[in-house]
Order: sequence, then structure tokens, then C-alpha cells
Amino acid sequence: MNIFQQIAAWFHSLSPQVLTKGLVVVLTIVLGLFFVRLLAVLTQRYIMKKSTPQRQMIARKAISYTGFILVLMAVLGELGVKLTALLGAAGIVGIAVGFASQTSVSNIISGLFLISEKPFAVGDVIRIGGTTGIIQSIDLLSIKIRTFDNLFVRIPNEKILSSEVTNITRFPIRRMDITLQVAHGQDLERVHALLAEIARDNPWSLDEPEPVVVFTEFKEGGVEVLFGLWFAKTDFLNLKNSIMKSITSRFQAEGIRFGSARRILTIEGGEEA
Amino acid sequence: MPSDKLKRGARTGVAVWDEVEIPQRRCALWRFSPRSIWVERVANEWHALALPDGGGRDEAAFVDRTQKPESSQWRHYLHTVNAPVRPTPVLPDRPVVVRPDRALTLLPGETAQFFVEIPVWFRLSCADDRRTRIFEEPICMLSQTWFGDPITGELCYGLATRLHQGLDSIEPSAHLAVCPLAITNDSETDLAFEKICMHVENLSVFRGPRRLWTNRLNVVFKGPEQATQIEIVREAPEFEQGLALAAAARQPSAGWNIRRTFGMLRSFADI
Repeated sequence: MNIFQQIAAWFHSLSPQVLTKGLVVVLTIVLGLFFVRLLAVLTQRYIMKKSTPQRQMIARKAISYTGFILVLMAVLGELGVKLTALLGAAGIVGIAVGFASQTSVSNIISGLFLISEKPFAVGDVIRIGGTTGIIQSIDLLSIKIRTFDNLFVRIPNEKILSSEVTNITRFPIRRMDITLQVAHGQDLERVHALLAEIARDNPWSLDEPEPVVVFTEFKEGGVEVLFGLWFAKTDFLNLKNSIMKSITSRFQAEGIRFGSARRILTIEGGEEA
Repeated sequence: MPSDKLKRGARTGVAVWDEVEIPQRRCALWRFSPRSIWVERVANEWHALALPDGGGRDEAAFVDRTQKPESSQWRHYLHTVNAPVRPTPVLPDRPVVVRPDRALTLLPGETAQFFVEIPVWFRLSCADDRRTRIFEEPICMLSQTWFGDPITGELCYGLATRLHQGLDSIEPSAHLAVCPLAITNDSETDLAFEKICMHVENLSVFRGPRRLWTNRLNVVFKGPEQATQIEIVREAPEFEQGLALAAAARQPSAGWNIRRTFGMLRSFADI
């Protein structure tokens, strides 16, 4: 007797009631999961079409989790499991599991805070600790980000709630601060005018708010200058690359020397070296 | 046919915006003083290139293919329909913040008529039934600027220009559209505007025998704490005869516009 014959014989041995119940359970699972999935997709695509990706994701997950629980309860009910007794047992088990999974619960509660506080949304670029990346999803236990060198990073919600998080793309414009040093003795008026000119000539630097040029400090190697340029948040790389090249080439062309730390060693009775 | 004119020689002035038929393996060149646009038809493709140009006057002509500049910036558009092409002057795709060359103050109760020259973009469309847009290219590269506060403001183009009070001081140009702007100070305070944000995406371009024009704008300033009323007059401005619609507004707007001024009161006018 091969395997198929064995299965057929097993089915024949079952009573019609058991077969009917089994069929109902299978149909409940298949159709239930299908409708849950369909409802989640339709909600995301049509009802919440204009919502942010984060809200779409939350709605999809809420529908999916609720749907799965309802399908599970329907299946258990069909199998004759008494839900009241099960829920009572679940309460006892829940306390035990709760003690054992404090971290997970903490993450879930942190996740709920994060969802309600909305310090960031899916698609934002954030910096947390030494990690910078684009948020892929915000889940109950953790957030997932993709770094710019294409690494997948999972950060537990509990850690996010207790850490300093910088949302880099929250506002539409940002200021890029470049600190440079010009050698002592350079014409600072000329440096100021040249930096203003470099900013004006750069297509990614905004005219308004105006670029900032501040001579911040006398240092050992020269005068420190803070050069701040405002830009639209999408233009970071274009501005960064072009402005560094411009500063270098224009300073060279104008004969302005960058500052660098120098040591003058004087040998007694000899010459300076 | 306008294309015959192009065959006979270069077109100048606003005639550069006439329809033209570019045969296979011919190269057409539109020269404007800030930039030039090269267009070539090869098989089923349009090849286009925009380059800075220090030329004096606006003109369009066919040029020999050997004069075509070598560049990696040529862009290629696949379009199988063989039909004449229509260059169209369109206004920029973002608001333009105009910074007048001198600070002006409009005293209470005064009305002033200004004319602002706005650089247009070059749009090339196919003159077929679908009016397929092939490409768009700015003729003047305007700087980027921000209007409003850093959180709720908007990204705009910056334009330092003169607010003309008459047409005599405006040289006719094929790449600058003149926007007639009437400002009334209907408040008790002085209206000192250092910059004006013009929502040019709500304006159409009209072509006249000598100049390009936009819709006329009437702005009524009611005071720093109240919304500024802006009326976009739909009809062609009456400052030149024989105007025809050249390009419809990118985002047509209702006649009176009040809402857009709400967040911009500190800058006095947002048009």
C-alpha cells in the first residue's frame, strides 16, 4: 500500500462529521486569511491612498493582526475549544510570559509611544548614535533602517526612546556648516567676500536664508571660519561636493592660503628651522 | 509656413517661438542671450542640448550638423511621430521671489503699476494631435531661494530685477515675459517690499508682436495683519495689441486668491 492509498484509507476511516468540521476549518483559515490580506491591501491602496507611508503601514498591520486573531478565534470555536476557559488560562500564562519577556513588552510600549509621538516617519533620514539611515519601517518592537551604504539595521524601540535621535529630513531646508582655517595674515575682508561669492555662484545654495560667514576663533594654525550655507534637503550631496571644490579652487586662484599648524624650532646659536 | 522662414534665414525676436519643421538629420538652434538650445532629429529620436550662451540677440536658425557641439549632456527622446515641433515659452515651475534692485515703499492709499520681467523656460512640443511635450529647459538659470519661515515656507527661484514703472525702459526680449503688476496699498501703514513672491505657475504666457506677456496681476494690500488680495486677470493684458495665448498656466488659479497670502504676511506680499 503506497502513501496515497494510506491517506485515502485514513480519510475513509473518518466519520462524516469530522470530515465536515475539518473542511469548515480549512475553509475558514483560507478564506479568512485571504479576506484579511485583501482588506489590508485595499485599505492601503485605495482608502489610505493619500496618507503617509507610515500611516498606511500602521493601518495594514492593525488590520492584519486583528484579522489573524479573529480567524484564530473562529477556528478554535469551530474545533470546540471554549474561549472563556482559554482566555482564563491565557491570563495565567500571560503573567508568566510577561515576567519572562519584560524587554519585549518594554519595546512594545516604547513602540506605541513612538507611533503616537511621531518624532519621525517612514522615509525620513535619522541619525541615532553612530548610525544614519532611511527609515524602512516602524514596528511594535523595533524600527528598521537602511544605511547609505545599504546595510539593514534594526534598532529596538526601547533604545530609541532613551537615546537622542536626530531627524535630518524633518524640515524642508537645512544649513550645511563648513569649518575652515585661513592662514594668519590673510585679508579677512577678501576671504569674507570670496566666500559670499562662492555661495552666490553655487546653484544648490539658497540665497535666502543668507549664507553665514563667521570668523570664530584665532587658532594656532590660522583664523577659523564658519561658512554656513542653506540648501533644500535633497541637495546635500550636490552642495557638499561642489562647494568643497569651489572653495579649494577659488582660494588657490585668489592666493588665499589655508591655515595649518606650524612649529618653529629655534636652535640656540643657530638658524630657525 | 514659419518653417519656410527658418529655411530662408534666422528668425529673431518673438518669431523664435514659431512652429518649425526639423527634417531628418537637421540641427536647429535657438539662441537666447543666457543659453542656447540645440535640437536635432535623428530617426525616431529627438536629441537636445542646452548650453550657456553669451550671444547678444534672441534668434532661431538651422545650423550645419558639423557645428553641433560635442557634449555628454545631449539628451535623447524617443518619439515616433514625424510632425513639426512647436517651441513654447512657459513660466518657471516654482514661484519666483523678485528682489527689486532698490527698496520701494508704497505710501498708504497709493496705487502703483509695475512691470516685472520674468525669464521663461523653453518647452518643445510636437505639433501633432496630442501636443506631446518633448522637453523643457530653463533659458536663464535662476538661483534657488526660500520664501517664508524655515519650516512652512516654500522653495522658490530668486530673481534680482528692476521693477519697471513704464514700458519704455523694457527692451523687447523673446526670453523675458513682462508681468504687469498693480499694487494698491489699502492700509494705514507704509508698504515696504524688499521681495515679492510671485506664483508664476498660476500665470499664462501671451505672445505679442514685440514681447511676451503674462496675465495682469492686481494686488491689494490691506495691512500687515490681514490677508493680501490678489486678482489674476484672465484676459490678455492691454499694454500691447494683438496678443495671443502662447502657453496656459501650469496650475490655473481662481480669479481672486487670498489664501496664499496667509503665511506670508511678514514678507508683505505673496503673489
